[in-house]
Amino acid sequence: MANEFGLFVTTDTTKCTGCKACELACFQVHNVRSNKVGKTVGTVTVPVTPKLYVTVIPTASMPVQCKHCENSPCRAVCKQQAIAKVGQQIIVDEAKCIGCKDCVVACPFGAVTLLPFYANGKPVAQPGSGEGKVAASKCDLCYTESEGPACVRACPNKALSLNDVEESRKAKNIAAAEALAVVNAGAPERRSLK
Amino acid sequence: MTVIAIDQNICTGCQECTRICPNLAIEGLPHQAQKVNEEKCVMCGQCVQKCKSYVSVAEHGLAAYQEVRKARDLPDTVVEPLFAAYNVSHIQEVKRALADPNVYTMVQSAPAVRAAIAEDFGAPLGELAAGRLAAGLRKLGFDRVFDTNFAADVTIMEEGSELIHRVTNKGVLPMFTSCCPAWVRYLELNYPQLRKHLSTCKSPQQMEGALFKTYEAKLDKVPIEKIYSVSIMPCTAKQFESSRPEMVDSGKRDVDVVLTTRELVWLLKDAGIDFLSLKDEKFDLPMGDYSGAAEIFGVTGGVMEAALRTGYELITGKTIPAVDITAVRGIDGFRTADIQVGDLTIKVGVVTGLKNVKPVMELLAEGKLDLHFVEVMTCPVGCVTGGGQPKLLVETDFEDAYKARISATYFHDKELPIRKSHENPSVVALYKDYLEKPLGHLSHKLLHTTYCGDKKKAH
Repeated sequence: MANEFGLFVTTDTTKCTGCKACELACFQVHNVRSNKVGKTVGTVTVPVTPKLYVTVIPTASMPVQCKHCENSPCRAVCKQQAIAKVGQQIIVDEAKCIGCKDCVVACPFGAVTLLPFYANGKPVAQPGSGEGKVAASKCDLCYTESEGPACVRACPNKALSLNDVEESRKAKNIAAAEALAVVNAGAPERRSLK
Repeated sequence: MTVIAIDQNICTGCQECTRICPNLAIEGLPHQAQKVNEEKCVMCGQCVQKCKSYVSVAEHGLAAYQEVRKARDLPDTVVEPLFAAYNVSHIQEVKRALADPNVYTMVQSAPAVRAAIAEDFGAPLGELAAGRLAAGLRKLGFDRVFDTNFAADVTIMEEGSELIHRVTNKGVLPMFTSCCPAWVRYLELNYPQLRKHLSTCKSPQQMEGALFKTYEAKLDKVPIEKIYSVSIMPCTAKQFESSRPEMVDSGKRDVDVVLTTRELVWLLKDAGIDFLSLKDEKFDLPMGDYSGAAEIFGVTGGVMEAALRTGYELITGKTIPAVDITAVRGIDGFRTADIQVGDLTIKVGVVTGLKNVKPVMELLAEGKLDLHFVEVMTCPVGCVTGGGQPKLLVETDFEDAYKARISATYFHDKELPIRKSHENPSVVALYKDYLEKPLGHLSHKLLHTTYCGDKKKAH
């Protein structure tokens, strides 16, 4: 079934412990090629820069990550056109990002932040200066991974899942219709209409 | 002496470690920083392997990483992620000893180290690196590059003889292995009344250490005071074991310091050694000579298999029909087998994963454990999955890593020219020239111990 809406990852807060396995898996999968991150911690030579952010409050914990908003405010405010829609997903092009923070301000969920940007194991320099640059970092739904989002796969408690809102809405429609069909058929006013 | 700690500023209180801790030593409320209860901790370091709560730029700021690294006394060359749960590092101590020309450094490495160390340099999981390990240690400047495997062969001579002695003299049975310090600690804390079931043998690390400062000191004509005895282990509990008050039978502390596999990786990187491109070298003789039986000490069932290979031949006087004793292999938490040795049926048990030992101990306490010899290892599939081994970033890789490290270990066993401990020529020479015989006077002094129990604190 064709889906017009962008997917996103949802957390079952009854299962999430806040362990950050999702953050590490996210970082790993996005840095295998660009920064030679392997299977073990010792292969990491760059700062851990995830694209989702585990948030712990007294009553719960969950990773907060991009909802891939249909009217994405981050994309709307980005003057560098560094944030684009690829398929149905909202994707950052770190090379174009100038670190202006407009997207950080615009995101209502705090799902974007600026983090050091590394390639080939080294900080990428800002043009015209020796300093390392930062880039907007947010969930890209592992859109280049055939197996889907790494966070979902890595969660030891299976708390994360890919949310297809249209599919679940339609499933709810069907469930509602099944229930209502019985109720409505039995309603006297309905019968009197015949 | 703190071995395992949790950084209160980094821990998110997910309690994943609490759930895997085999002795319920991690305490705290959900979503608040957890604490290690040192009175209960067996120092296996599985929490260190499990913890994913890292020092984060996004959460703790840019300066936090350097501050934590400094607080943990790690060299500036360490750049990998640091986590809330960690083992106290002794790398600087070893660096100082290596830099001191008046210190004579002797090093030993456990079998499991070579089955995993290359992973932290980007090699595939479980890539065997025995020759490069010897080369790397030599390049770091250790005066003598020996191997815990030598002492594992000695352990088989001693422990095998002890088992035969107990069986034929109506001694306390079943006898339990004593190689795993976390298991020994667990037994002392929870079942002190059953301590007599523990083999009196020291672990291979402590046997090697005691022989460094006696046998090898004599051979090298080096005064004991000059020797600094270093041990590279897949294990976080070995540091604790080496500091136990009993472990001074050479006259000095037998093992001065223990580094985990990961700490050795840091040391190699700090020295700028390109580990993966090193040419294979041999461990030094005599105390770096080893059999395949010693190598398999690194996996669950390995100590048992090594003991049976030698036990069979010592008891029957015949060559064992099949060197691979697959009946004791596997990864189930508790498995048993009946092994026919001549007229004798030896009933053996193998426990892996310390949580699986509890029901076995309950059976023992009730007098219902009908076995002669039981091997216990604390970590999931033995030392190859120890708390000090290269740490996996993603848990879905655990199973692959376990399998790969186990295969590397059995592969190495198979490729070695000698696969039985009693056929190791350097071990034969050790008994001929120095110890005389297993369970002899010198063996008792240097290679056996009575653990003084839970009351006495390690220094």
